[in-house]
Amino acid sequence: MGTMGLLSILRRLKQSPEQEVRLLLLGLDNAGKTTLLKQLAAEDISHITPTQGFNIKSMQSSGFKLNVWDIGGQRKIRPYWRNYFENTDMLIYVIDSSDRKRFEETSLELAELLEEEKLAAVPLLVFANKQDLMSASPASELAESLNLHTIRDRMWQVQACSALTAEGVQDGMTWVCRNIRFRKR
Amino acid sequence: MGCFFSKKSKRKSGEKGNHAPTTTTVETTDNAVPLGNNTDEAPKQYSWDKREKVDPKDYMLTGLKDVTVGRLPGKLNGQEFVIQECENCNIYVLDHSATITIDDCVNCRIVLGPVKGSVFFRNCKDIKCVVACQQFRTRDCKKMDVFLCCTTQPIIESSTGMKFGCFQYYYPELAFHFKDAGLSIFNNNWSNIHDFTPVSGENNWSLLPEDSKVLDFVPAPDPESDFKSVRISTEAARSIVPLTKGGRRKDSEESCLFVFFAGEYTAANARKLIDEASSKGFVLIQTKEVSMKPEDAKRVFQNSADDLVEWISKGPVTALELNGDGVVEACKNIASNVFSSTKVFVSDNKNTSSRDVDSFFNFADMQMGL
Repeated sequence: MGTMGLLSILRRLKQSPEQEVRLLLLGLDNAGKTTLLKQLAAEDISHITPTQGFNIKSMQSSGFKLNVWDIGGQRKIRPYWRNYFENTDMLIYVIDSSDRKRFEETSLELAELLEEEKLAAVPLLVFANKQDLMSASPASELAESLNLHTIRDRMWQVQACSALTAEGVQDGMTWVCRNIRFRKR
Repeated sequence: MGCFFSKKSKRKSGEKGNHAPTTTTVETTDNAVPLGNNTDEAPKQYSWDKREKVDPKDYMLTGLKDVTVGRLPGKLNGQEFVIQECENCNIYVLDHSATITIDDCVNCRIVLGPVKGSVFFRNCKDIKCVVACQQFRTRDCKKMDVFLCCTTQPIIESSTGMKFGCFQYYYPELAFHFKDAGLSIFNNNWSNIHDFTPVSGENNWSLLPEDSKVLDFVPAPDPESDFKSVRISTEAARSIVPLTKGGRRKDSEESCLFVFFAGEYTAANARKLIDEASSKGFVLIQTKEVSMKPEDAKRVFQNSADDLVEWISKGPVTALELNGDGVVEACKNIASNVFSSTKVFVSDNKNTSSRDVDSFFNFADMQMGL
């Protein structure tokens, strides 16, 4: 596969004084969160079920632990997202760049997340996913329509990617490594 | 690409000094839009920045009424497809695709060839369809009859009057389209739906009557249409996806596990078994194509495991559950008469065969869950 997997992230983070790093994957249903999670873990991505609760990948290396939480995004279960905010070191928001019909919906959900106290100042990586599709909107257009330039209280980045082919995923995770903010525990 | 999205950019033109063009093929000036507030580097170029742009009309059907439309084999070729705001249409997408969304459609009959990713129906009503996909999703839908092949658990949300039956379709290129989409005809979870918004005392979904005929729901294309050249069949025996009873109540207490190992003729052999068993009056309950590790073999095949470890390493196994009084004896006979030179596993006797079936399919469900 050749991309930066979770273990590589761990090695990079070894410099930090913290013992445990927590990444939170959110986004609408069908955005590609679970495909991204499996891609990061270098697992098979040809057979993925819509997430009913959540998925978690945990990796350990030299007394250091990385947890990636992938939470189901159906409208009905978005109220449960707040159960996972605590102790998040990085928010990764995944968008289906080809689903224009739901750009407004995902924009609203992201805006609400950025107002959440428990996520205050947590750095944000937006994956403009599904770029492998011909109809995908470019990252720049998404960045514009999401009004991310108005964010003042945290580091943020928009990264175009295809979770399916892994292209762009490593670049996103590199940004994650460089900008992860460790919370006081 | 710039032109397609410019409508949305126009709305925001007051805010930032809109630099998206209003017409045609000029690209938006990506460099002017910041992609982050902590990036020193210039934006990278990816494969999608360098490829040819496509005309949205190539992959969309919008606002059609009272017509027969779709795509002939070879005309979509793995691209995505979008169907929206159609009414009283017969839609035939007879090719493999990456993903399909269907929005705001009413009273349509739809056939969707194998989809590599997800099929997502939103805000649709009175739909009768035949669908093959990796993921099946609905939201805010009402009254849908779906003949489904789905390799993972189908889900519905805020939807009612949803009815499901087993995929049943044939056209000459369909088997290739399944391969192109990476879907196994033996992995079909059509009958166990997850409802994200269940209502106490009601059922948002149910199974179609077992003898439902596809043609009564989704007609063959009009003989005057573009699709007249496609030799479609909806006969059960010709269906590319074997008909399975799925979650319907079984007629007999006796089931048998029959397993083929990876090889050139596995799919053909499985079909042969189904034909032989059906002709004797036995019923196919479920099938699975799944990879096994040696530890799995021990758990599932128990005493026969040692013998089979080398066979499971060749690739995924194809397992079938057949049901009916006397099915175990019948399967053993078929194995020795029809498959004498093929390595297979067959339940040994009717007292232990239920355990074989449960062991295998519980393992397979867990394996394929995440």
